[in-house]
Amino acid sequence: MHGPITEAIQFIDLNLSSAIFLIIVGFIGGLVSGFIGSGGAFVLTPGMMSLGVPGTVAVASNMCHKFPKALVGSIKRYRYGQVDIKLGLIMGLFAEVGVQVGIQVQKWILDKWGDAGSNLYVSVAFVAVLVIVGSFVMRDAIKIKKMGGESTVKPRIAARLQKIELWPMMTFKRANLRISIWFLIPVALATGMLAATIAVGGFIGVPGLMYIIGATSIVASATELVIAFVMGLGGTLIWAFYGMVDIRLTLLILGGSLFGVQLGAIGTTYVKDYMIKYVMATIMLIVAVSRFLAMPKYLNQLSLTSFADGQVSLMTQASFYIMCFALLVGAMIILVSTFKARAAEMALEKAQMQSA
Amino acid sequence: MDQMAIEKDEGYGSSIPHSQGNRGCILVVTSQAHPAQHVMDYVISVADRLGSKIIMASVNPRPLLRENSFLSRTVRVAVSPEADIFRAKAQGRGIAYECIAESGKIDKVISRLCHIVKRVEFVVIDQGIRMEEVAAGSPVPVFSVAGGTQDSAWKTRGHQIRTLFHGETTMKAATRKTYLMKTLIFGAITAALYGAVFAYQDAIMHYWTKGGIYCLLPVATVFVFSYAHGSFTGNFWSALGIEGSKASSSKQKEKQVSTTEKATKRPDTRPRVQANA
Repeated sequence: MHGPITEAIQFIDLNLSSAIFLIIVGFIGGLVSGFIGSGGAFVLTPGMMSLGVPGTVAVASNMCHKFPKALVGSIKRYRYGQVDIKLGLIMGLFAEVGVQVGIQVQKWILDKWGDAGSNLYVSVAFVAVLVIVGSFVMRDAIKIKKMGGESTVKPRIAARLQKIELWPMMTFKRANLRISIWFLIPVALATGMLAATIAVGGFIGVPGLMYIIGATSIVASATELVIAFVMGLGGTLIWAFYGMVDIRLTLLILGGSLFGVQLGAIGTTYVKDYMIKYVMATIMLIVAVSRFLAMPKYLNQLSLTSFADGQVSLMTQASFYIMCFALLVGAMIILVSTFKARAAEMALEKAQMQSA
Repeated sequence: MDQMAIEKDEGYGSSIPHSQGNRGCILVVTSQAHPAQHVMDYVISVADRLGSKIIMASVNPRPLLRENSFLSRTVRVAVSPEADIFRAKAQGRGIAYECIAESGKIDKVISRLCHIVKRVEFVVIDQGIRMEEVAAGSPVPVFSVAGGTQDSAWKTRGHQIRTLFHGETTMKAATRKTYLMKTLIFGAITAALYGAVFAYQDAIMHYWTKGGIYCLLPVATVFVFSYAHGSFTGNFWSALGIEGSKASSSKQKEKQVSTTEKATKRPDTRPRVQANA
């Protein structure tokens, strides 16, 4: 089955400028992923496509770089004591099932409404999830910031769910929680389904771990990297089975993203917990605007609206640039907050050394 | 490396600690010139109460490094008359004190000393030595002393730095040098790997996109790259001095310990048959 597909695929010729572009985007994506657990990859697929890479190859190559990046990030954060491996692996396995369900849903929509319908579904899912979850996370981040940056209260839903003794109960030592597996499964499935739909399962996975399961934002974002590793490995094997992975693109992105993911992981040790929520919500809300601007194109194709072609192409372009802007804003917040906190800590160390 | 050498030091360190009568000993192990302030204070008060003798072992865990390395100098300074903070403290309270220089793996050093000295009641490890790396090898209980204010820890550290070094080298500089070496090694490996892929990109693209069982090739490739390049990037940031915050990790640990609501497994209360033969 894989033979004919491979023959039809055109792999691009790489030049220096496109290689540098991929390394830089990889670095920024890695930085965000290392910090919030995911969310750095969504610019890469359209970014690669803008270089002329076919859509499927872009998705496959992106997927192939995601799991080693998540592996390196999760090892780094494990050393900081932030990763709950057991939670990550269990969630990852069910998320993999969610990915398969998501693919089937996508296929069904594709068969029923064609390409435009599928794209519209993706955009609607993007906007709905990002606006609802993003505004909730942002509200929480602002509330914690006002309280002085320390949140000691467990989210209400998580506290209630943890009290329900529904067999089989599971204990997660690092995340410091005990919960029934029946509450983990829906979060994991939703993470997988979102990953299959918009390629960033973490936008559901991390808030789900924080608000439904009851992990702290540091543990949630770190554990999400394990989930991303499991999902990414499974996805890559499938794409590679059909010969879709352009290893050159993957390695170039990986070249930048491994620098970024380590720096993002280091950043989590300096900032306060709410910063992770803040960065995640900011990116989610800006990306929601981006995807909202991409919708008229698909609405026009389905004859639901009649925007002028010029307007549609302008909005489509704006959509891509706003997506890049979201990633840049996230990266800037991470870098500034990390280096500010680091400078403050170093100044304190220096003062203590002098007083000694 | 396992062959441990016990250094003799003009009257201060001795080849084998002398056990005085039947008095029990507290073995204090450090990889510095002397333990942290709070560790010294704790050991002295316990030794005073129990009437025990203190044996302080300053261990160089990497004896194969060059003669004038940071670690070997640390050990030399530990058994020299200048580094007598612990001794002064102990002798001020009338506690018998002995300091020895050791080298080799810390767990093996502890095991060996416990067998030689015989009367070691328990071992106290200094901060910076991990419990898991010594507990398994020790025939007697091992304790680490938690606590000690950040301030006192810094004071001790500051003192150690002043005592140990001749101005030009610090622990940080020595560690950074190691990171730099690793960065160069893994950087060269990564560059070679990237060079190989792009030099033979046509052949690689042919086989790597064949699909089927060949799907393992891209997966194996990224695993290899993530090891080499991941090590390179990790050491690169460390060599630049960009590392995780130590203050935050200790704060996190404190937070974990102080959490009253600890998630624990539900105790198994099911009835069981008590069958004794």
